[in-house]
Amino acid sequence: MLGSHIGGTIMDEYQTEEETAFVVEEVSKIIKESVEAAIGGNAYQHSRVNQWSTSVVEQSLSQLSKLGKPFKYIVTCIIMQKNGAGLQTACTCFWDNSTDGSCTVRWENKSMYCIVSVFGLAI
Amino acid sequence: MSDLQKTQRRERKTSKVPSEASHGVRGKEAAGRTKDSISTVSYIDELAHHDDNARLTATMENTYRMGPDRRIPIPAVTDILKDVLTSYLQEEKYEVEWSQKMTKTISEVIRARVKDLMIPRYKIVILVHIGQLTGQSMQVSSRCLWDASNDTFASYSFKNSSLFGLATVHAVYFE
Repeated sequence: MLGSHIGGTIMDEYQTEEETAFVVEEVSKIIKESVEAAIGGNAYQHSRVNQWSTSVVEQSLSQLSKLGKPFKYIVTCIIMQKNGAGLQTACTCFWDNSTDGSCTVRWENKSMYCIVSVFGLAI
Repeated sequence: MSDLQKTQRRERKTSKVPSEASHGVRGKEAAGRTKDSISTVSYIDELAHHDDNARLTATMENTYRMGPDRRIPIPAVTDILKDVLTSYLQEEKYEVEWSQKMTKTISEVIRARVKDLMIPRYKIVILVHIGQLTGQSMQVSSRCLWDASNDTFASYSFKNSSLFGLATVHAVYFE
């Protein structure tokens, strides 16, 4: 038992602080690229919106997992047609402030809004 | 030259309009522009001594647990969401400032009630959307990279004649 406990603490020191923090700039860059790639120059089309939001979210998630950080991710995407309607969004979290973080990217073009939220929860 | 100025002016105006999204915590914003789309990034600004906090994070010892003792009861959580959304939004009309306050209030009420369920070792993320119904179309989707056997989510949507409300709760097990 003593042997396994020592093994555990030594393993923890292999990861530095930079690798275990939620870095907002990196994450937002990934999100912006995924959104541009999926819906870049398109106008809102109801028939394709399902496929677009799936591809935005899946691409973001696969890029985030490639970062190789010890995080669980929740990615939410809202695509809304521009119609003059209002939308309010709020989020609240019960987590560990020092290790977990979130980032929201709002993107728009002439015909639609896209809001992507990423929550990273440390394991 | 004047066309360019006009488009730049238009872009600057529209960048303040988007979606009136609000966040429960004061956030920082950074705007970027490409030729026909605008994007803004906002995130929760941690306290100024974030770096010190990160270094002082407690390193947890192994718990040697294989899984959670108690899982999140999805029907109970869905009932909470249904209850809160219906009671707060039943006969209301969409108004900008009222719904800004309402989203924050509703999300905090839901968080308090989910915490009252006293499920240990779970982290909670709650998202609330309130929008105006004007015949527009919209799609909300989410995907998660997590441990499917321990982590879960619940959501509920409510609609009346002038607005819709959508609440989602994600629960993530902390190993």
